[in-house]
Amino acid sequence: MGLVTRKKVFSIMALCAMVGLLLFPVIVSLPSLAIGADAPDAAKKEEAKVEKGRDVYYKTEGIVVGAPAPKTVDGPKDYPRYNFESRVLLWFANQQHLYYGSFVLAVPIFCMVVEFMGVVTKDKALAKRYDQLAYDFIKISLTAYSLTAVLGGILIFTFLTLYPAFFGYLSSIFRPVMHIYALMFVAESATLYIYYYGWDKMKEGFLKWIHLSMSVILNIIGTLLMFLANSWIGFMMSPAGVDEQGRFLGNIWHVLHTALWNPLNLHRILGNMAFGGGVVAAYAAYKFLASKTDEDRAHYDWMGYIAMALGVAFLIPLPFAGYWLMREVYAYRQQMGITLMGGLLAWLFIIQATMIGILFLSTNYYLWQAMGRMRGAEKYQRYIKYLVFILACGYLVFITPHTMVMTPAELKAMGGQQHPVLGNYGVMSAKNGGINVIITTTVLSFVWYMRGNKVSTVSWAKFGNIFMGVFFACAYVNIVGLAIYGYYIPANVRVGLSVPQVATTLSSLFFMFALNSVMMKGAKQTGAIEWGKISARSQYALIMLATAFTWMMGLMGYIRSSVRLFWHVNEIMRDNSPWAYTHTVGFAANMISFNVLFFWISILFVFWLGSLAAKKAPAGEKAGVPGSAPQPAGSH
Amino acid sequence: MGDLINQALEMGWPAFALLAGLLVYFQVSISDPVAKKRATLRTIIGMGATLLLFIAIVNYKENFYGENRLLPVSLVMVTAASFMVAVYFPNLGALLKIGGLMFFVAAFLSGYGNWLPQVEGGFPPKEEKLEYSGMTAQQLADEGEKIIFGGVGKNKEQGAIGKGQCPLCHAFHAGMLGERAPNLQGLPERAGKERLEDPKYSKGKPAGRDYAQKEAFPGSGTAENAIEYIAESHSCPNCYVVAGYGVKGTNDKESPMPAIHKPPISLSIDELVAVDTWLFVREGRDAPSFEEISKAYEKFIPEADRPKKQEEKSGPPSALMADGTEPVDQILAKAQCVSCHTIPGIPGANGTIGPKLVEGTNAPNRIKDKDYKGTAKSTSDYIMESIVSPSTYVVKPFPDNTMPKVFGQKLSAGALKKIVDYLSQVYEGKEPPKIS
Repeated sequence: MGLVTRKKVFSIMALCAMVGLLLFPVIVSLPSLAIGADAPDAAKKEEAKVEKGRDVYYKTEGIVVGAPAPKTVDGPKDYPRYNFESRVLLWFANQQHLYYGSFVLAVPIFCMVVEFMGVVTKDKALAKRYDQLAYDFIKISLTAYSLTAVLGGILIFTFLTLYPAFFGYLSSIFRPVMHIYALMFVAESATLYIYYYGWDKMKEGFLKWIHLSMSVILNIIGTLLMFLANSWIGFMMSPAGVDEQGRFLGNIWHVLHTALWNPLNLHRILGNMAFGGGVVAAYAAYKFLASKTDEDRAHYDWMGYIAMALGVAFLIPLPFAGYWLMREVYAYRQQMGITLMGGLLAWLFIIQATMIGILFLSTNYYLWQAMGRMRGAEKYQRYIKYLVFILACGYLVFITPHTMVMTPAELKAMGGQQHPVLGNYGVMSAKNGGINVIITTTVLSFVWYMRGNKVSTVSWAKFGNIFMGVFFACAYVNIVGLAIYGYYIPANVRVGLSVPQVATTLSSLFFMFALNSVMMKGAKQTGAIEWGKISARSQYALIMLATAFTWMMGLMGYIRSSVRLFWHVNEIMRDNSPWAYTHTVGFAANMISFNVLFFWISILFVFWLGSLAAKKAPAGEKAGVPGSAPQPAGSH
Repeated sequence: MGDLINQALEMGWPAFALLAGLLVYFQVSISDPVAKKRATLRTIIGMGATLLLFIAIVNYKENFYGENRLLPVSLVMVTAASFMVAVYFPNLGALLKIGGLMFFVAAFLSGYGNWLPQVEGGFPPKEEKLEYSGMTAQQLADEGEKIIFGGVGKNKEQGAIGKGQCPLCHAFHAGMLGERAPNLQGLPERAGKERLEDPKYSKGKPAGRDYAQKEAFPGSGTAENAIEYIAESHSCPNCYVVAGYGVKGTNDKESPMPAIHKPPISLSIDELVAVDTWLFVREGRDAPSFEEISKAYEKFIPEADRPKKQEEKSGPPSALMADGTEPVDQILAKAQCVSCHTIPGIPGANGTIGPKLVEGTNAPNRIKDKDYKGTAKSTSDYIMESIVSPSTYVVKPFPDNTMPKVFGQKLSAGALKKIVDYLSQVYEGKEPPKIS
């Protein structure tokens, strides 16, 4: 057996052993999952003794195996406290853990994608750059990983110290999967460290594929961990698997698979990715601005671009995932949906709309600035002013409110239920039109950027260009036309217009990107991309993007949590603490700002620590870092 | 502003002293006039930035709970300080400018949040002990209006909402928005005719219904008149769904409305009677009697599912800490006031978490304080306000939101009066009043 073959066999065996070890805790835990399955047998034997309850969500009957949700009393037993509002402390601990957790779950997905691109690309120089970039990504997340674990510990202690009765109840419900969660965290850590420290040893040939497979395993574990964490908040918002008194009925799958679990999972995966992209882009921007050499500037410019592109790729479908989540909230409890979108928390959605606008405007601004480092892109720059106009119009329509909860004084001042002018315009189809125009314009900016320094050489280039132009024009006409049509039809019919509007935007996204890629294959370059020659303003746009996204995450998390109002677990366990009320918008905004700034100050510190380690590294280690050498055209 | 600067100097004096020392050191140690000028300028800029930073911290600390809208000012100050320092310290320039931009974005968004109308979600509705069965129709209707809209006469206010949460989805007047659920104007008339005669309702033949539920519970049957129809729609919304108002995708077979006698709304039958009475009375109709409506609900809500009447309910929301029959020292002990406050004359009241309660002396001064924003005009009013709404005026330097805001709900009127009477007679340096 040759040396290479033996190496392959050992690698496969090592990978199988690792997968086996990772699955071991899950398999060992399976009996506990079967509580529900065993229960019917036990029920037959002791039918007279067992008590049955009806699942509040699934409406199925089950044998009561848990205690009722505690009826808490405001006092040191159920709500011990420091000389401060306990809810604010928990808010802080939770939010910081979530920020770091999202970051360390998102970055390995980037690594996987970028490493894969490095493995499959035929250009060796580019492959090396991708590999180095993936390594840089995971290096950034490694320090943050330990901090995430520390923050997780702080969060649990905060729960135990300030909300013992509530935490005790949730733990009793989730007991069958809590140890799986802990063991999976161990598996995640082990995989991450092997993945990181094995990078150099497994950088060639078949071993590289093994290394890449490990990143897949790492991400599967990470995603499952997140799903388990999401099941807690899903249960708090839309409980299932318990009866009206909150007694566990033995089926842990029902507890996990609540009405809002899947929409939350999808929303969080996309959100984490967009957030992770933002953080890495901000890191690259910081390094770019602090760079002393053209070589460094070129590298971090490229890194910032890739991170931004990955982040935005997940930001674009995020509003649609949010739409699904809201739809499921309405389907679960209409009052909950109305409290969110048209009641107590409605003003927060106005802030959210503002922020979505900021995110897309920053992205577009960055792309326009990035065209400046591309020779040949000048031909598109004169049209940017029209894109600004379209974006501004879309944005203004998007943030126009329709109905709002008002005090009698405000109602009197306004002269009616709706604003005399704006009230006529802020209907849902128009707002959907606004955001879809913004997203379609962002797609257009991307398309221009991708073809900035190229001229298509395919024989049907002229026809392709005309087709793309007509497609975009039709997309705008369709979106805006449906937005206007919405004013002439009843509200319940109007809601349905969002489907063709979204379909139009997604069609633009997929068809135009695909067509553009085909047209630009083997295209003639009109000039190189001069990495590192981008304006400093563009880097501030990346930082703006990252900060705004962090703020939006804080805002949406607050909205999601607040909608339970005075319930710890909706309709099951009541919050009887002195803080069972909802803060004002202003207080929430200040608190979110505090959390955002704390996160950024701490992560800038982490970046700084990382840069200290880099300074200590031997000089030869950075040899693989790409410089300002001419970049291949396909690198964007 | 003067206060803020003073406090900033008080808090940051070691930093200022260090910078002053550096200034002196540069004057003495640097001989090159250009370098000396540069070092002096940088130190002065550093002092300015430090002052801004400490003013920002003090402002944040002082107004964290009180004047929220002033907090973004702190963030703007930090932004200004960051950019000032970044200009003169190029080595840290990138980091400081990035930090400055982040503070600016946060300041803008915080400021925006504070500029918007400030709505605070209140505590869960207070539960009162009421004897509905002895009320007149008008009294019942008033209670019903409170349950629906949160107060008598509020039915035309947009956004008015009571514990029943009905206006979240239903409109109650002609021409008002009712996109999520039917407009209830004219319901008593419509219920007995249109609804019951609708073939889909399948009056008297529940098996013929094509909805998510055929009956409220096995054997309950269908409604026979308008009163029963309203009772059935409250207790079994899935038994009949008005066309166009079902859950999306169910072809109007399932209603988005929850059963009103179950969580999260959990109205008792008595409360539901009050709501239904209002629906009749507000249209100038003769309301059915309490017994008639109760009987209709009993038809559709099985014994086991009936929410307990308020006096039977147990648990914290309605549990009183003291009912007012106890002597004042016991009331203060039961409400745990003694843990946080020092109260002359009350055994064991040595707490220091909150201010000492010598309200006979303090209350008149507090009312005159320029920071006082409450409505009290007398000592008694001030004490009552401090108990039921502790954040109205917070005695410095104690933090806000430490004192629970639930005493208005957890102490009876008698108990509150006893506390107010006692505390208003406690003066600094004088013998405390007798305990009664």
